[in-house]
Amino acid sequence: MANLKEIKRKISSVKNTQKTTRAMKLVSSAKLKRAEEVAKRSKVYAAKLTELLNEIAQKMQQNNTDGIDNVFFKENQNPKNVDVVFVTADKGLCGGFNFQTIKRTNKVLAELRNSGANIRLNGIGKKGIAYYNYNGVAMKTMIDDLSSAPDYKRAKEFIDGLTEDYVEGRTDKIILIYNGYVNMITQEINQQQLLPVDTASLDLNSVSLSELEVEPDEDDTLMNALVKKYLEYSMYYALLNSLAAEHSARMQAMDAATSNAKEMVKKLSVKYNKARQEAITTELIEIISGMESMK
Amino acid sequence: MKLMKLEIVTPDGVIFNDEVKQVTLPGSEGEFGVLADHAALVSLLDTGVIVIDTTDNKEISVAVDSGYVKVDEEKTLCVVDGAVALSGDDSSLAAAIEEAKELLDKSKNSATAIAAAKSKVESIGKRY
Repeated sequence: MANLKEIKRKISSVKNTQKTTRAMKLVSSAKLKRAEEVAKRSKVYAAKLTELLNEIAQKMQQNNTDGIDNVFFKENQNPKNVDVVFVTADKGLCGGFNFQTIKRTNKVLAELRNSGANIRLNGIGKKGIAYYNYNGVAMKTMIDDLSSAPDYKRAKEFIDGLTEDYVEGRTDKIILIYNGYVNMITQEINQQQLLPVDTASLDLNSVSLSELEVEPDEDDTLMNALVKKYLEYSMYYALLNSLAAEHSARMQAMDAATSNAKEMVKKLSVKYNKARQEAITTELIEIISGMESMK
Repeated sequence: MKLMKLEIVTPDGVIFNDEVKQVTLPGSEGEFGVLADHAALVSLLDTGVIVIDTTDNKEISVAVDSGYVKVDEEKTLCVVDGAVALSGDDSSLAAAIEEAKELLDKSKNSATAIAAAKSKVESIGKRY
């Protein structure tokens, strides 16, 4: 027979856990609302920036029939040095959110290794960094506290460093991996090739522009400025998006945990009542049999 | 007079999206005005002030940090890093002007561009 006291203690402990998970869920849903709002507003800006880049790239392609002649657009068929950037959360307790990103990163790393490229791994977010540290994978940069509080300046500093390496030929490719927000209950892994600018993702043949004047028109001043901005913003947007996704994932995980706890309390209560009933029955039997024997 | 669409987008969202008569933009090669049916154009924007002529013959000034503008026949699209609209009554205008000056100070452009933009912002304050 299960100990009554023990079951009672278990019930109260599960109830406490339930309180915690419910509170965490509420906190996450409040934070999610804010993060979602920020991500949504930034999405417009990101879309317009891409649109601009799109049109200028079109113009450049029209001028040069053999592809776009700009360092940011030169596709290297056989990349030797590749920067891989991943974004995870700083905190856990959000279901498979972080692990999905890590899984995809591992896949990308394996593919790159097979093709014989040198990889520089750049980590943003404590959870992913902790994973690769534990597994003994060397990382070039490790950035804490950025994914939980996206900051444009820090994102810019980081991506500018990578861009400089790319321009000076130290790297041939930059890949960004993060878990993005789709809606309240769905997250989606995004894998984006930042550099060279992926012309496949730009819709180069949408509108045929007759004449597009570009100012300042010497060199690639405008193009370079625009690509840099595009990169910085893509990085920043990835952080915002990832944060919104993290909160939605945590909300879901905590919701599931709360209902699991509820289920458990129910089961334990049934067990407790049964045990209590059993104890009473035993006692009654004892009393009756005692009385019987006294007759 | 023919109207055109003007859209100003910042990282904080769309701050202006309406039909306008004319817009004057602080291009990096000099200030220029855009009317409807303007030839397609893409330009860098310096730190400065965008002046919008609205359909009801009012002028709206918007202080902007650097950015880009894309003009085509029916639409003008400004993508800027930061923007503060200078409009409203006395008290809110004064606040907006302070905010605009702050924004301009933070911009990374040349000191002359910032100074020119600031004096423009100040002159708007005096006009009312």
